[in-house]
Amino acid sequence: MRLILAAQLLSVTFCCYGQVAATSVDYATQTITHALTEEPPQLNSMKATDQVSVEILGHVMEGLVRYDRRGNITPGVAERWEVTDSSATFWLRRNAKWSDGKPVTAHDFIFAWQNALDPKTASEYAFILYALKNAEAINQGELPTSALGVTASDDYTLIVTLERPIGYFIKLTAFTTYYPVRRDFYESRGTRYAADAKELIYNGAFTISEWVHSASLNMAKNPHYWDKNSITLNAINIDYITADSRAHLNLFIDGKIAHTGLDGETYKDALTQKLRINSFSTGSIFFLEYNHRPGRATSNINIRKAIQHVFDPAEMVNRVLATPGNLPGKSLFPVWVKGVSVRFRDEYPPPTATIDLNKAKQYLSDARAELKDIPPLVLLVSDSPIASKQAEYVQGLLLSKLGLKIVVDKQTFKQRLAKMSSGDFDIVGAGWGPDFDDVMTFGDLFASWNLNNRGRYTNPEYDRLVRVAMDSTVPKVRMDAMGELQQILFDDAVLLPQYEQGIIYLQHPKLKGVTRRVFGPDPDFTYARVVK
Amino acid sequence: MIDFSPAEKSVAIEQITRPSLSYWQDAWQRLKKNTRAIISLYIIVFIAFFTLFGPFLWQVDPALQDLNQVSQAPALPKQALLSAAYIQWQRIVIQDFPAEPDSYRDQVYAPKSLRLINMATTQGVRLSWNPVVGAGGYNIYRNERYPEGFNDLGLPLGSTYAGNEIGYEDRLGLEPLTYYYSVVPTDGFDEYEVYSVLTVTPQLTITVDEAKARNLVSDTARPGDVISLEFHPLGTDYLGRDMLARLMEGARVSLFIGIFAPLFFVLFGIAYGGFAGYFGGRLDAVLMRFADFVVALPFLLFMILFKIAFGVGPGESGIIPMLIALVLLSWPATARLVRGQVLQIREQGYIEAARLLGGRDHYLIFRHIIPNTMGVILVTLTFAVPAAIFTEAFLSFIGMGVVPPTPSWGSMCNEGVKTMLSHPHELIFPALLISITVLAFNLLGDGFTEALDSRLRSRE
Repeated sequence: MRLILAAQLLSVTFCCYGQVAATSVDYATQTITHALTEEPPQLNSMKATDQVSVEILGHVMEGLVRYDRRGNITPGVAERWEVTDSSATFWLRRNAKWSDGKPVTAHDFIFAWQNALDPKTASEYAFILYALKNAEAINQGELPTSALGVTASDDYTLIVTLERPIGYFIKLTAFTTYYPVRRDFYESRGTRYAADAKELIYNGAFTISEWVHSASLNMAKNPHYWDKNSITLNAINIDYITADSRAHLNLFIDGKIAHTGLDGETYKDALTQKLRINSFSTGSIFFLEYNHRPGRATSNINIRKAIQHVFDPAEMVNRVLATPGNLPGKSLFPVWVKGVSVRFRDEYPPPTATIDLNKAKQYLSDARAELKDIPPLVLLVSDSPIASKQAEYVQGLLLSKLGLKIVVDKQTFKQRLAKMSSGDFDIVGAGWGPDFDDVMTFGDLFASWNLNNRGRYTNPEYDRLVRVAMDSTVPKVRMDAMGELQQILFDDAVLLPQYEQGIIYLQHPKLKGVTRRVFGPDPDFTYARVVK
Repeated sequence: MIDFSPAEKSVAIEQITRPSLSYWQDAWQRLKKNTRAIISLYIIVFIAFFTLFGPFLWQVDPALQDLNQVSQAPALPKQALLSAAYIQWQRIVIQDFPAEPDSYRDQVYAPKSLRLINMATTQGVRLSWNPVVGAGGYNIYRNERYPEGFNDLGLPLGSTYAGNEIGYEDRLGLEPLTYYYSVVPTDGFDEYEVYSVLTVTPQLTITVDEAKARNLVSDTARPGDVISLEFHPLGTDYLGRDMLARLMEGARVSLFIGIFAPLFFVLFGIAYGGFAGYFGGRLDAVLMRFADFVVALPFLLFMILFKIAFGVGPGESGIIPMLIALVLLSWPATARLVRGQVLQIREQGYIEAARLLGGRDHYLIFRHIIPNTMGVILVTLTFAVPAAIFTEAFLSFIGMGVVPPTPSWGSMCNEGVKTMLSHPHELIFPALLISITVLAFNLLGDGFTEALDSRLRSRE
């Protein structure tokens, strides 16, 4: 459940160019060059949380299973598996190797999972392993790591005991935190682990061949990878690391990089350059989250209902964001989430508020009667240009329609996260990207025990529904619970959905087979190839 | 014979033919002859008028968002058609056609009879087309010029994911321009390289409810009427806010810092420099070393520290800390200048004379020394004003000054620079105002330098 780095963190960036490749794509050597917006902050798979690190790790590491081009689960290190209500067994392939030629064994997974759960590691993503028996207790420091419900009956058979029946467990194992880590290597590197190209050992399709910090990062095909025959590219060179979107576009136009994202400004230049623009829906939902802590004005439901009745997501998407690909937000569950047999949205249409100023004013006067005085509300947002624009729009909207005063608090990503955790806000602009292909990746977000429930919304009925959906493996029961939960989210105006994120990008016409993903590494160049 | 005789007494010779000129009168006369300085003076008076009285003449709320007119260039008021309330778009799915093709085809035909449903307005453009045999979905593109080929279809607006879903509604930032819509059939994932194009020019419309809410029409207005939208003489910004109103509002912040910061630090500089210069000796040395120390402090770093020290919370303006930081860090230049002048004047004969006649310190300072440094001080002040305006603009540009929705010229430039290529007016107007104001103050300062220099006093 990765929190989204909405956009670049720095407005002033330093761009350092590494060695410059001749072209962005090269057919003869099957080499491509592209650019990153920032240096991967954390390549330790047990601790990685951000999208750039997940993207790089997805190319150089492999878990038990992986996603294919269509987003379906396919075998990775595990050749086959069997999941029951109480356990899961994985049979590992014998030809899966680390980049030094040693085999990947079941012990590497056990070590990684135990280590990620160790309170000393302080992995922010430890909770994704809570599906395993005793995982939560270990992470809280109540049990030793050896109590984790996972054993190896031999080097190539991994047996997992589950905490409770979990229908989507196999999808979880594709996630970054579930990647293997080899104990002897990890311990030999100590705190330097994953700090440099040579401080990391790889079992994925590529290895990091060279890493000049803040300048370039080159990946080369891994000769020990078990499925190396499916990999066409010999090298992926990241020669540029800069957050400046215009610099990315210029590099693309100059033929220096093969792939680049576009934003609200650069896409117009791309159009005049007659470049073919592609779009992709990231599957993330962006919303305004209220602070439900007692004493906060936003803990009053009538204020939240008033805002719900003046905010029009369609206007925001079409007039304020005004870049293609975004969809107006309708509920916590984005349009792609699967229901029992078709899309969740078609089976359980989300309730929507009509934009009704009179109703909103009625709610607001009720709120004023209850609160006596409404202080200016603090709207916490990240400091990216697009987030500021959205914040100013909401500020203007609420002031002109309802007379509600909003002060905008712009903070860097880290600082915003700290303020979200400490509850130092009334409304926060947040986003949520899915981690695995199940409705639960969104559903438990507002459960009272979830630390990512930054507004501390508590509703026993909501918690009960989440438990129903967690404890059942019957799709109909789970989806019915989620349908009811969607209704609660609306009735209580727990959050205000803004938009489902879409992005637009450019790709070199000779580069084929790049996968854009809702889950896992995105963009994924693993199966890409350069055509003549 | 007498060689010499007294000249006849003539009153005319001793008569003062011209009025006696004081120092200031003379300076003013010479300033008037300096055309550049006088033009600058007029510009400054105009800007002051623009700032102080502009908002009373142009009573538009600078924070009011007009999302019907986002990023409009300067233009005359636009005419819009009143429309009924927006009706939710229903997807067009036909039943007697397969959603997914039964078999994969190498090629398919381009969609036939691509057409408009309803009238095309800026509220929405609704398209439909005939289903394509073999298609598993469609991608819809929009361009602002006729597509020159498959790679020039423009913006990817969206997709339908079924061969029998044959409609699309575009509401994305529509303006009354000519658009070229293209529809490309897909097999559900990949595109076939065929497309159909439809040329559409949406009509600028506004719903009756919205027009009423904005006080654009009377209660009797009904759909179909043509009305004038709000007039934005200098265009609008990225949220449809009136540029003229924002420039006036922004001028208040910029000029507040521009006038008051120099005023305060020049006053302090005079006191400090005058004190050090007049008393001299060891005191002077100590005071001036402290001034050197202040000069060495990094401005930006201190600006950030002040902001934290003042506890400027989220969403609070950083203008007052900025003012204080400017005053605390900028005075040494004036202090040095005044000290130098005072050191020089102190040794003059008339000061000695005044002292011998029993003049006290404060008499000497206020009667003789300060008036004689006035010229230098005035020049410093006029040059300090543009520097302070520039500093404010710079700090607001990097986001350390005003907070939204309050504009300042610097923060408006910061916002405008992001859309510099597509909507240059959002950058040009604030940048132009900063440049003109700074230039005017500088030229006026030059004029003062010449006019107040007593060595250049007119001798005719």
